[in-house]
Amino acid sequence: MSAISNPTGTPAQASAYLTSFLNNTLHIHISDGRMFVGQLKCTDNERNIILAMTHEHRQPSQRDIRLAAEKHEQSGGSGNVKVDMKKRFVGLVVVPGKYIEKIEVEG
Amino acid sequence: MGDATSRLRQEAEQTPSYGGRGVRDTTEDFTSASSQLQSGQLVKDEFFTLFEAVGALEIMDPKMDSGYVAPGDTFDAEFDPASGLDMTEVLWIMDQLLCLEISWHDGYPLSQTVFTSLHIDRLLSPDQENRDPTFYRLARPPSNLSETQSLGHQILRAYCIGLIKCCNLALLLIQSQNYYEEEDFVTHLFGRELLPQVKGDQASWILQEAQKRLGEASGISQDVRRALDDRLKFRSEYLNTLVEDGSNRWEDMKSSMDSIQSSHDLARPVTDAFSEKVQRQLATSTPPRPMLQISWDLACRKWMDLCQDVVLAHRLTEFSISSSPACLQRAVWAFAYRGEPCALARALLQDLLFNNGGVRGELSHYDLLLTDIRDLVLAGDPLTDPESFQVEVTSDPRHICSRLIEGFMDKAIDEYLNLYRMVCQNRCRIRRTFTQAIPILDALESEAQQVDAKLSAAASSLKIQKKKTGRIVTLEPLTSWTKFYKLRIMTWAVQLGFETEIYLPDELGKMYWYLMQLSRQRSQLIGDIDEYTSLRKQHTQEKNTAAECLTAIQWYQSLYDYATITTLLSLALWKLYTLLAHTNIIIPPKRDFAKSQLLYEARMKPFLSVVNDSVPRHQDFEDAGLQTDSIESTCKDIDGSLKAAKSLLAGLKKLTPEQGRFVGTEDEWKKEIKQLETTCVAIAVATSQLLMASGKYGQDKLEGVMECRPEKRYHDWWVVPMLKEKTAITK
Repeated sequence: MSAISNPTGTPAQASAYLTSFLNNTLHIHISDGRMFVGQLKCTDNERNIILAMTHEHRQPSQRDIRLAAEKHEQSGGSGNVKVDMKKRFVGLVVVPGKYIEKIEVEG
Repeated sequence: MGDATSRLRQEAEQTPSYGGRGVRDTTEDFTSASSQLQSGQLVKDEFFTLFEAVGALEIMDPKMDSGYVAPGDTFDAEFDPASGLDMTEVLWIMDQLLCLEISWHDGYPLSQTVFTSLHIDRLLSPDQENRDPTFYRLARPPSNLSETQSLGHQILRAYCIGLIKCCNLALLLIQSQNYYEEEDFVTHLFGRELLPQVKGDQASWILQEAQKRLGEASGISQDVRRALDDRLKFRSEYLNTLVEDGSNRWEDMKSSMDSIQSSHDLARPVTDAFSEKVQRQLATSTPPRPMLQISWDLACRKWMDLCQDVVLAHRLTEFSISSSPACLQRAVWAFAYRGEPCALARALLQDLLFNNGGVRGELSHYDLLLTDIRDLVLAGDPLTDPESFQVEVTSDPRHICSRLIEGFMDKAIDEYLNLYRMVCQNRCRIRRTFTQAIPILDALESEAQQVDAKLSAAASSLKIQKKKTGRIVTLEPLTSWTKFYKLRIMTWAVQLGFETEIYLPDELGKMYWYLMQLSRQRSQLIGDIDEYTSLRKQHTQEKNTAAECLTAIQWYQSLYDYATITTLLSLALWKLYTLLAHTNIIIPPKRDFAKSQLLYEARMKPFLSVVNDSVPRHQDFEDAGLQTDSIESTCKDIDGSLKAAKSLLAGLKKLTPEQGRFVGTEDEWKKEIKQLETTCVAIAVATSQLLMASGKYGQDKLEGVMECRPEKRYHDWWVVPMLKEKTAITK
């Protein structure tokens, strides 16, 4: 969707570049380890990002990993066990620019 | 708009990704691009409005981000539901769950109530085996539990599963009937399911097993054993009554609740077993909300109220009451005015009234409607004789008329049932839905006129020639019936407006004047029906017919008297408020932009569409606000109407429940008459104070010397001003 290259040319180009991301699905990683996946609706010069239909993804805790390993052992499994990230629906959110560590776009 | 629309189209054409597609890191480019924007410049789609943007939850703000974990805090609550508990702790958790459950019924979401229990949370957790959930993360319980602790878990688990099933069934019941989301109740499940794999009778069995093991166990004191058993029993009763759908164990639940309330002091608190941190794992598009706190005594009172409301709902829908639609309507109003029943009680009443096409599954809705038509306009008339409906000969007038009446009933049945259903809602919604029904009933009245024309061509009973004068009197039964209910809900809409305080003090006079107009129209109609029924009685040879007419006439008389009382009280308050405006005791607020024509249209909006009755114009309202007579003369008029009202009230007091059609609501009848009598006295007091002040100060404008305090209502629908002389400013 974002076929525009040289995004950091003029302010007009920067604006067009960002506009090309609207309604795309972004993955926003923030400083406390959570990731927010949602459709880009709005952004500003502070990199504050509004996402719609957002899901919050969270890394499993130590307790979750230990529990998954124990269950895996009990059921007779061997080798490594896969522990999914926890996911829940949160709706319309605004992620303040100052907490953003990584921005990925789908597609 | 071109870009935004094409974006939207592109999006619609794409298949949903579910995050499965690869992602590309654009952090650097995005960051650098956004920093090039001007301060305050937004990059957004034209379809996305600032109004929507304001609703976005700010991540990392503790007040809005339900997933935010403060530094030093843990993500999960520390308490482990698998840990062993004393029986007294189990008791406390069960009681705390009772408090939270009744708060949910009160209208608070599950995220603030039942879901804050870590035990419930564990059972509903998505990684559980839905068919057989436990408190234990691994397949078996921890090895360090004692036998008593293990029993404690069994009891608590049984109780929790029972509770979850009760919530599940209560929720289904509420959603199967009419209710208003967020006003009455919050149905949101926050992405959780309520153990769909566990059926009601399975949960029942789990509770029974727990009770059995409790009975057999040793090492538990008598008091605690009894307390635990009472709670399991209450839960079983509640679950079984929801599962079986027909049984009525709510009286049993009341007695169980009594013993439960008194044994609460045996319980030992385990506050850690409940936490708001569960909200971090719930699907919620709202900010984090505090856990609800409610006192034990208050919770028990609410449970008792719920049980009592449901017991009452059963009593009010018994055949002795429902066989008379007038009595049944009064019964539903009596239920509505019992405080404000919770959503579950309302749903249960609606279920009793509407499930299976009939009241209590026995009295069909069509029979109810036909009885209503007969009682109100066709008492003793062969048109509504059930046998007439059986006639199959198509040329027989009885066959023709029956089909016409049936056709009309098909059109009327939905709005008719709404007369009952809407009264089961919260008070503000009753008023609002009545205002919406007014144009519908008016349109139905127009249709009724056409049906009546065809009926009178076929039926001879709709014309009677008076013996003395030879004048022919006709009846338009269906038109009269429809108009009766239309005028009634118009009246109720205005009166509920008084109750829900939508009229400002300076509007009260004119609205009581309009109420008076409506009430007079009602009296006129009732008088016409009464006149015709009396003629029918005079002209019949049949004893049964005469008897039916007589009981109908007694009822019409009570309706007429009640309408007259409404007229008289409205007149009194209209004149009193007009005086208060005239003497400047009530001054309208400054309205820079509101013109009186606009105010008239706003207030009268629900009524203006009516075509089958006259609706006052703006000028009529203006004229009603003029003070033409002297203060003394007006006060005398007020006293006169109050006297007449009191005399009619005394007459109503003498009626039997059968005569006044208030079987089943005798207490409410008496109470209302008392309230109206007190209202008469209050109006008289205010009037005499006004008269006295006018005499004392010898002037027309009294704003400096009299004030109107917030009124006291003896009856929700009659707003009586309280007048007091202004205290002199000393010093």
